[in-house]
Amino acid sequence: MIKLDNVSLVFQGGSVALSNVSTKIKEGEFVYLIGHSGSGKSSLLKLLYKEYVATKGDIDVVGMDVTTLPKWKVPILRRKLGIVTQEPQLLEDRTTFENISFALEVLGYEESEIEQKTSTLIELVELEESMYKFPSQLSGGEQTRACIARALASNPLLLLCDEPTGNLDPTLSTQIVTLLEKINRAGTTIVMATHDSSIVNRRKKRVLQLHQGKLMSDVPQGRYI
Amino acid sequence: MRRNPLLAIATILAVLVSSFLVFTTLSARAIVENNTSRWQNGVHVVIFLDDRVTSTAHKQLQETLESYSEVRMVEYFSKSEAAEEFKELFSGQQELLDEVDFETLPTSLRVNLNNPSDYQLIIERMEGNAAVREIRASGEAIERLLSLTNTLVFSATTFAVLIGFAAFILIINTLRLTAFARRKEIKIMKTIGASSTYIRLPFIFEAVFESLIGTSIAIGLGWSVIQYSKNSVIAQSIFDISISDSYLINLTLFLILSTLLFGFFASFVGIRKVLND
Repeated sequence: MIKLDNVSLVFQGGSVALSNVSTKIKEGEFVYLIGHSGSGKSSLLKLLYKEYVATKGDIDVVGMDVTTLPKWKVPILRRKLGIVTQEPQLLEDRTTFENISFALEVLGYEESEIEQKTSTLIELVELEESMYKFPSQLSGGEQTRACIARALASNPLLLLCDEPTGNLDPTLSTQIVTLLEKINRAGTTIVMATHDSSIVNRRKKRVLQLHQGKLMSDVPQGRYI
Repeated sequence: MRRNPLLAIATILAVLVSSFLVFTTLSARAIVENNTSRWQNGVHVVIFLDDRVTSTAHKQLQETLESYSEVRMVEYFSKSEAAEEFKELFSGQQELLDEVDFETLPTSLRVNLNNPSDYQLIIERMEGNAAVREIRASGEAIERLLSLTNTLVFSATTFAVLIGFAAFILIINTLRLTAFARRKEIKIMKTIGASSTYIRLPFIFEAVFESLIGTSIAIGLGWSVIQYSKNSVIAQSIFDISISDSYLINLTLFLILSTLLFGFFASFVGIRKVLND
């Protein structure tokens, strides 16, 4: 599903975000990407959906060679992925339902399909009671769940989550991780960047640890050290 | 447009002024070209003959003129023909016609040149000839008119280009502001996997729509001005405001097509930065 081979990312000005990272993630895996702030977690995720371009190395995601992928093909790659950011990116003037259906409109679904699929996604993330609320009326956890539902609109093979529990209290964080595990069990590969040790230690999943842009460890059923 | 109504109105006005200038400038040039070519194909030099000299001398003068390579045609205009022309020109002024003694009207030779700018050469050759009473040439007037027209066309075209550029900048600015206001929506679309074309479409639509409104009003005004001018005092006296419908239709189509390209290009430039961020 993901293959990184000697990947480095150096920003303009010489700041090194990632240095010679190599790893593989198989289909159906749930992987935690851990490390302190500035360790390169977000940069690594952004390389996977070509928000950033690697300075060196090869990246293969869902069977696409991201390194050589031309700009006009990036939307094709992103349609195979789901992306959830730390700050919930919801449109303030639209309800939860509209925010999710917006993704389906963009993806070109028929109007009849949009309503049905949006309802299914809302049910999956358990937001039935908040479907007609605007983002400002939602809790942090609900906003994150709405973003997850939107990210699932394209039936992605891979879900990339960049600290989705970063702004949430432990209870809400657990709810989000439980939801992600449910999605993972349905077959979607998940890579989740986090620095929440309690979640990582309890869930016993594969853990990739980054430190100052280098991959320090790769442990199946790992712990946050 | 809903987000920046004032800027949208400014854009429409700039496009309107620019398109109107282009429309009227090109129409005016076509009208002037029609008139000058009519004049250029007509009589360039009129040589009034002295009645005291014999008709043989008049005949000789005509033959001399016809022998010049610069001359295309020489036409003899008798007293009676001059009288007919006078009556036709002043047909509405019976009092004047009653007062005129048509016998005093001179006979003349009307010279048509291959190149109207050679009129000075003919004047020089005819000056001092005993059979010649007076010489009048239209070449100088045509040259002056053409020079004035060219200056006006150049000035109007330069102004139209400058206004057009201002319209271009305004459209880009409007789109940038709109794109800035919608940056979150654009970012979400990019993350989901929307193509650049999909993201661009509403912006292209806005730019083309604003440009089309401005150009349509300008074309309407341009047609009205031409229709009004056709019935004006100038058209009924010295200037023939005649322009073919096919020319105007082609000009209209040209302006609409240019506007579509203009709007498309402006939108392309306007949101390039937002798409690349």
